[in-house]
Amino acid sequence: MTTSEEEHQLILAAKAEPTRFAPLYERYFGDIYRFLLRRALDPDLTADLTQQTFLKAMLGLARYEPRGLPFRAWLYRIALNEVRMHWRKKKEVLIDLSYQEVHGLSEEMGLEMDEHEMQRLATAMGRLDAEKARLIELRYMDGLSFAELGQVLGIGEEAAKMRTHRVLGRLREQLVPRR
Amino acid sequence: MKRRYRITPEGRRQPTDAEIARYRDPKRLLYNYSRAVQRPQKPLYRDPKAFLFLLLIVLLAYLISEERRKPDVPSPAPTEQVPPAPSDG
Repeated sequence: MTTSEEEHQLILAAKAEPTRFAPLYERYFGDIYRFLLRRALDPDLTADLTQQTFLKAMLGLARYEPRGLPFRAWLYRIALNEVRMHWRKKKEVLIDLSYQEVHGLSEEMGLEMDEHEMQRLATAMGRLDAEKARLIELRYMDGLSFAELGQVLGIGEEAAKMRTHRVLGRLREQLVPRR
Repeated sequence: MKRRYRITPEGRRQPTDAEIARYRDPKRLLYNYSRAVQRPQKPLYRDPKAFLFLLLIVLLAYLISEERRKPDVPSPAPTEQVPPAPSDG
């Protein structure tokens, strides 16, 4: 049985009997916890948000339709809503990134980056509006595929790809001065 | 809300699997789920406030139905206007 078939069976079992949701919870807890920790920063708060995400997933499981996309993307979508609700009261959020996380982004922009350039990139990313920043975070920090990205944001795969490339172009323009 | 990014060589320290496992609690999830889906344990009519509210609704419904059931009061028949008799003289 392939992973996606196995996942499908687990989802069907959990839909029929909610107590059988545990294997899905075990399987994705780590992914969702890490995803939320990048944004919430505090481990205890992250644990609460993760529990809330899974509770909402359990309550909404009857409405879930796979459509060939991984269950994980659906969970990310719920988790993202939880983060948004948490962020509503904040004026500013700080997101920590490592060189490794930014590496994929700089590579796709075709730019070699030293430390100074990294700081400029951080500033340029901070200037993006929420929607554009979300695209970059999901794609390069969380490593989502364009199909997953589309599912999380409620758009098609092609639209996700196009929008991401547009944002990359915009970042590149800010980092490479026009001659 | 403003986003600020900080890019450092290590970034934020990633939690280990053991650290994450400490927060994993499927029993709590199931407990929260059953609390979210179960019906309220106390029947509505046993809650004094809810009982009074229900009673008020029933009374109002009764009064409205009684008001509608009352027969229409016939309007007084129009009196015929008799022209005054011509006076002699």
